[in-house]
Amino acid sequence: MSEKPQVKSSPSFFNNPRNRSIIYQLLLLFGLGYFFYSIISNTLANMEARGIQSGYDFLFNTAGFDILMSLIPYDATNTYGRTFIVGLLNTVLVSIIGIILSTMVGFIMGVAHFSHNLLIRKLATAYVETFRNIPLLLQIFFWYFAVLAALPSARQSMSLGEVIFLNVRGLYFPGLTPEGGASVVYAAIAAAIIGIFVLKRWAKKRQDDTGQQFPVLWVSLGMLFGLPLLALIVMGFPFAWDIPYLKGFNFRGGITVIPELMALALALTVYTGAFIAEAVRAGIQAVPHGQTEAARSIGLKEGKIMKLIIVPQAMRVIVPLLNSEYQSLVKNSTLATAIGYPDLFTVFVGTTLNQTGQAIEIVFMTMAVYFVVNMTISFLMNRLNSSVALTER
Amino acid sequence: MKRLTSVIATGLALGLSFGAQAGTLEDVQKRGSVSCGVSTGLAGFSQKDENGTWSGLDVDVCRSVAAAVLGDASKVQYKPLTAKERFTALQSGEIDILSRNTTWTHTRDTSLGLNFAGVNYYDGQGFMVSKDLGVSSALDLDGAAVCIQAGTTTELNLADYFRANGITYNAITFDTSDQTRAGFESGRCDVLTSDQSQLYALRIGLKDPSSAMVLPEVISKEPLGPVVRQGDDQWFNIVKWSVYAMVEAEFMGINSANADQAKSQGNPGQQRLMGVDTDSGEKMGISNDWAYNIVKQVGNYGESFERNVGQGSPLKISRGLNAQWNKGGIMYSSPVR
Amino acid sequence: MKEFKPLPDQPAPNDTVGPIHWVKDNFFSSAANTIATLLILALLATVIPPLVDWLLISANWSGTTQDACTKDGACWVFVIAWSKQFFYGSYPTEELWRINLCVLMLIGVIASSQLLNKDWRNKFSIPAFLLLPFVCILILDGSWIGLEYVSTDYWGGFALNVLLAAASIIVAFPLSFVWALGRRSEMPFIKSVSILLIEFFRGVPVLALFFMGSVMLPLFFPEGTNVDKLVRVWIVLTLFMAGYMAEVFRGGFQAVPTGQYEAADSLGLSYWQKTLLIILPQVIKVSMPNILATFVMLFKNTTFLLIIGIFEVLSTTQTALTNSNWLGGHSTEGYLFVAIVFWICCYSMSRISASIERKLDTSHKN
Repeated sequence: MSEKPQVKSSPSFFNNPRNRSIIYQLLLLFGLGYFFYSIISNTLANMEARGIQSGYDFLFNTAGFDILMSLIPYDATNTYGRTFIVGLLNTVLVSIIGIILSTMVGFIMGVAHFSHNLLIRKLATAYVETFRNIPLLLQIFFWYFAVLAALPSARQSMSLGEVIFLNVRGLYFPGLTPEGGASVVYAAIAAAIIGIFVLKRWAKKRQDDTGQQFPVLWVSLGMLFGLPLLALIVMGFPFAWDIPYLKGFNFRGGITVIPELMALALALTVYTGAFIAEAVRAGIQAVPHGQTEAARSIGLKEGKIMKLIIVPQAMRVIVPLLNSEYQSLVKNSTLATAIGYPDLFTVFVGTTLNQTGQAIEIVFMTMAVYFVVNMTISFLMNRLNSSVALTER
Repeated sequence: MKRLTSVIATGLALGLSFGAQAGTLEDVQKRGSVSCGVSTGLAGFSQKDENGTWSGLDVDVCRSVAAAVLGDASKVQYKPLTAKERFTALQSGEIDILSRNTTWTHTRDTSLGLNFAGVNYYDGQGFMVSKDLGVSSALDLDGAAVCIQAGTTTELNLADYFRANGITYNAITFDTSDQTRAGFESGRCDVLTSDQSQLYALRIGLKDPSSAMVLPEVISKEPLGPVVRQGDDQWFNIVKWSVYAMVEAEFMGINSANADQAKSQGNPGQQRLMGVDTDSGEKMGISNDWAYNIVKQVGNYGESFERNVGQGSPLKISRGLNAQWNKGGIMYSSPVR
Repeated sequence: MKEFKPLPDQPAPNDTVGPIHWVKDNFFSSAANTIATLLILALLATVIPPLVDWLLISANWSGTTQDACTKDGACWVFVIAWSKQFFYGSYPTEELWRINLCVLMLIGVIASSQLLNKDWRNKFSIPAFLLLPFVCILILDGSWIGLEYVSTDYWGGFALNVLLAAASIIVAFPLSFVWALGRRSEMPFIKSVSILLIEFFRGVPVLALFFMGSVMLPLFFPEGTNVDKLVRVWIVLTLFMAGYMAEVFRGGFQAVPTGQYEAADSLGLSYWQKTLLIILPQVIKVSMPNILATFVMLFKNTTFLLIIGIFEVLSTTQTALTNSNWLGGHSTEGYLFVAIVFWICCYSMSRISASIERKLDTSHKN
């Protein structure tokens, strides 16, 4: 491969790049084929020798254990297949919460790095350097066993107006039970969202045509809250409050946010937030200072400079970094298993694998899920990336 | 891609060893040590101290087998295993014995290609509550939050028991015993469930152990014992009789202090166990003073129990079911003759 | 003719110099800043004193058992008594010099990369760095070089975290480079296999990979074969790392100007000469900060090995916490200790990364 090209009257068979490429690829194909053939035949032989069943029939067997938190109805008489769905939904929930919160924290801390206040700057640096350099697993332990475990017990709950309660068992707040006429309110929310999109398009077109600006943000907010509110009043508030109350050992009713979820979301937020803060800082620093000066010299206000000049250019650097941070966040959510938050890993690779022993199928299904979720994030972020990328000349 | 195969080849070259399917005894003798799968850390059963020395009731099974086969209880290689990989490790030949508080169940005994070689601790799942909760029975626990130390059967037993009694509950599952204890202590749950032996360990780990009590209900049977591969009857017998020898020695009143005396001037039964005028060892392919080595170096079952989990340990578990059959327990050895 | 005499510099306006104005500028420049400053100071004042008291003033330092912990503060006795386990695992005491030797060699190699001049750095530091993990494995194992054999069952503690991370990244280096080349290849099958490998090992949680190493890999080997658990974990970590590094290299390849490829081609270099002699050095140069960042990530991720029962430092801490002689609830001290150790290592690595970045920066900007 590394010999120097020699001058020959007619190139030999191997010196034809096309032939070589076919030979290399065939070699790889045979190598891979042999590799997988031996793995699969070994596995089958091993499984037979050890009396391990194969196949996905176990998904239809009764699970027989309970799960702490489920977004869909679940009890011990449901199947293993349903434990998979329950775990998956819990993973998605904590990932979405983590992504939203860590982005907020990251942007605030990233911008804080450029604050005029020395203390704020130092605080931002200390935050990034501390939380970036400590293993996430330890941080999860910290939030769960040190911070949240210090909350008061159920009977001495902290409460806000006797409707929202916070104690070591979780955060309880009132839920809404829909009654007749609730669908009108849902329709109003949908109408408001569609309306905002239409408005935005119209305002942009008007600005492009005439140069006049329209206060899109305020009108949008007005629509988003005004329309549903109007519907509520017209229908005579078609919801019943479900306020949590203390009965026996625990609070009943309302919506409960379990401390495992809070600790995991907090840890993921703080950890990923530190990385996002670095990304934001790098992004802002990558914008040449001349841009700010030029913007000032044409008379833009400071707020507008940030919004129209700095941020759009910084986003080119930030978005690709965000993509990988979001993917890490989803993968890191598997550490839920350390504190017992019932995510896909805890429920499925933990308890279900323990009960059924079908390692291959379960690990494979779980890997496939994370793979698909991460590909989805990557796809969405690439769309975002192409919308913020500057057209290069 | 070619690199992938080469990495695996390197890995194989470094770590490859062939575990024979039969003839475990020869392997052990050739290697000069017993490879024993234990828990990564379970108070009183298998634990490592600050010098790296292993001790515990499960560890003593490994040590007694080493004493019987190699004449030296210290010739054990400990392989800490998680619950999920323990059976695979045994099946693949990575370990010779699995002594990792494993419950003897029908499924495991019949379908995994494994054999249980006896019972070294009779356990059962129980509950611990905080005293100021004012609960005296598990049946008062309706609506309670339950901390579970994740096991293989704990969650199922709990679900079965509470469903049978029409009790609702919230299950919070933790990975390790330390985390379970911390969850209970912080008030995350009202009640903690685990095997009884572990409840005692968890209780003394509390900041104020007297603030918690163990409820009388035992909701499951958990006979724990060592496991070996199926198909090697000689090795199966050695492990089984090593466990029995410790129980039998206690029954006969032989302990590590008087083993020499029992060997030289004990009654015929004691002398036979200690290997005088008998071929009990030869029949298993090991030396005849195998039981003497066990008792001398590891002690009898009672000594091992008291040292690791009983009055001589911080756990202070009473003998209960694990007392000799003539003292109110069910520890019963077949006679060595 | 009057000579030109510059006027002396005017002093800066009075309201911009001096400590008072520095304070005003940095802390109280506006109402919002003043509030922020006061809030932060109040927060620090409430948090720091009790923390210092617990950590240092009323902490317990001397003794060998937990009975020695009589004061209210932290029980550092726990950490001190277990420190050998935390750092070295169960490695035999009389053989500890082997681990220390490896640590010294590691420090030596890092120091050489900082101190030696450029020629020697390339001739000595880089090969030494690549060889070090293998030399250390030979030394630690012992059986190949005539030392007493120490089974991997005794390896553990923080030394194991470092060793696994270092050994994985070194093997991952060539592997990931090949994958990255494959991804750029024009042969469709090789390209798609490379993409699949890279995306698979990047898209799957490392915890799932560890489970694969712990419960699935044993089934992949021929019956009756068993591969040491550490080696299985090593394989998995290497593949994981290779996925990430391949992406780092891909970024590096893109940063090398097309002219470099064209110049190499026009000189008549073969594919491998071009790749290894012209492209690779430039790729490594631009990728260095990202390689180090990836390494820090891998290093932190070695703590996840606790979930599959490898005695790395965090898992050793948990074992210590379940020992029946230490059941007094020392988890805070234990975890804090591990956190501090990791923080020191990761923080200094990020500093080193920054300094290497400056050193390798041979571009002509500024």
